[in-house]
Amino acid sequence: MFNGFRGVLYREIHVFQKKAKKQIVASSLSPLLFLIAFGWGFGKEVTVNGLPYISFLIPGLITMSSLNQSYGISQELNITRFYFHVFDEFLIAPVSHIEIVLGEAFYGIFKATISILLIFLYSLLFGVDLMLHPVFFPAIFLHTFLFATLGITMAMIVRDHGSQATVNTFVITPMIFLCGTFFPVDKLPAVFKWIVHILPLTYSTKVIRASLTGGEIDYYYLSLIAGFAIVFFGTALWAIKRVEA
Amino acid sequence: MQLNNTILTVSNLVKNYGAKPAVSDLSLGIREGEFLGLLGPNGAGKTTTIKLLTGLTKPDGGDILYFGKSFFSHPKQAKELIGVVPQQSNLDRDLTAFENLNLHAILHNIPGKLRRGKIDEALDFAGLLEYGNKQVKTFSGGMKRRLVIVRSLLHDPKILFLDEPTVGLDPQIRRNLWDLVYRVNQVKKTAILLTTHYIEEAEKLCQRVKIINSGSIIADDTPAQLKKEVGSFVVEYLDQEERKERFFASKEEALAALKEIDGEAKVREATLEDVFIKLTGRRINV
Repeated sequence: MFNGFRGVLYREIHVFQKKAKKQIVASSLSPLLFLIAFGWGFGKEVTVNGLPYISFLIPGLITMSSLNQSYGISQELNITRFYFHVFDEFLIAPVSHIEIVLGEAFYGIFKATISILLIFLYSLLFGVDLMLHPVFFPAIFLHTFLFATLGITMAMIVRDHGSQATVNTFVITPMIFLCGTFFPVDKLPAVFKWIVHILPLTYSTKVIRASLTGGEIDYYYLSLIAGFAIVFFGTALWAIKRVEA
Repeated sequence: MQLNNTILTVSNLVKNYGAKPAVSDLSLGIREGEFLGLLGPNGAGKTTTIKLLTGLTKPDGGDILYFGKSFFSHPKQAKELIGVVPQQSNLDRDLTAFENLNLHAILHNIPGKLRRGKIDEALDFAGLLEYGNKQVKTFSGGMKRRLVIVRSLLHDPKILFLDEPTVGLDPQIRRNLWDLVYRVNQVKKTAILLTTHYIEEAEKLCQRVKIINSGSIIADDTPAQLKKEVGSFVVEYLDQEERKERFFASKEEALAALKEIDGEAKVREATLEDVFIKLTGRRINV
């Protein structure tokens, strides 16, 4: 039972284990640099929405880093599919597409969890107090699930490695910088404010930040994140079916 | 048409890429334990046919039945019955040979307690037992091919699809693989559909050969019968610097014809390439 789900996870975790050190060091560097540059750089005097900037920044780094890791499976899938054809082994096996998508998505969540734990460790090292609200767990699960399934969708739609990089440049990077990771979206000009409100990261950053800094949880936003997760799960299934057309 | 003990029946299969037909009205059947060859030049539609039969791509028309059940309405059941050796290795180069086989075993729901034994048996069958814990990226081309073949057999499929399994390998390794594939068919009684553009491969291994050209089957019989139909003996000669062939039923007739030809000429036994030339006017391997 669930042999497809177990098989995909077996493959991904075993490949990850062989590159774990390199991958963990690589994923830990960028949030650390942001913390040093913006956290220490601005000091505790700068406040945003009544929070010291470093306390405002840590939840943003959690959403950014977990997005990078969960969505980042698209690049691995791309290589698996186009260069090594390993993905064909999943498609030929007697397993459902749902199991393949869930296996890959949970691998994305696994990678994101490592990056989240690293940032929690940084927050201890930098002396940042976080107030963990239970909503953090479903929120981060939905956040990483939706970006992992978006990653699967993109990896199945693009035709080559270059197209994958283009999507990252024009969609993922702007989203990371504009959707409230480093500063509140209220400060954006009206047109950008409108754009960021159609992007899921805006909502997950708000909910996750509130769940870590004692803010008010917006359950409507949480339901929007769940909605995005369901939509991208659907698009991932559709995209895999399309590969077999 | 479904014959007794037919395990795969393909009827009027059609696949187009844009306006270009890749497979046109292709029909075939494979019986239990049979070794069937699909012989044709590059671009004839062999790989597309394998992709259609294994669910990697969907047809635009036609039907595929495994044990009388439609592949399209029972894909999971059908996939439990098939093993696939793709043209390009799809082994995970970062995983060890054991891990690659274990992944296949998990995907095919082989119970945990049986896995170790089956994997060791498979590695032994391929002569790779001592390389089980080595990463596949350290393997030679021949070792990878042998591993892909035994991996495809791990779940005891009833039919094995081999898509140009020896392409790009040197002659010695190719012969070793022929031996392995032959043993799979004879020892395990697995039916095999082999696609190839190597004449010798089809002649040596296949009980029956279908010749495919431009997506359509143009001939279907045993290699001996196919050759007999075009003429078992060939006079090969040069005509205005172009190599030409004439076909004869007996060696005597061929030798008599040879005497009438001025210039360089020889008599030889017919091959499946000659069958292809006679049917299409062009060579398989150009």
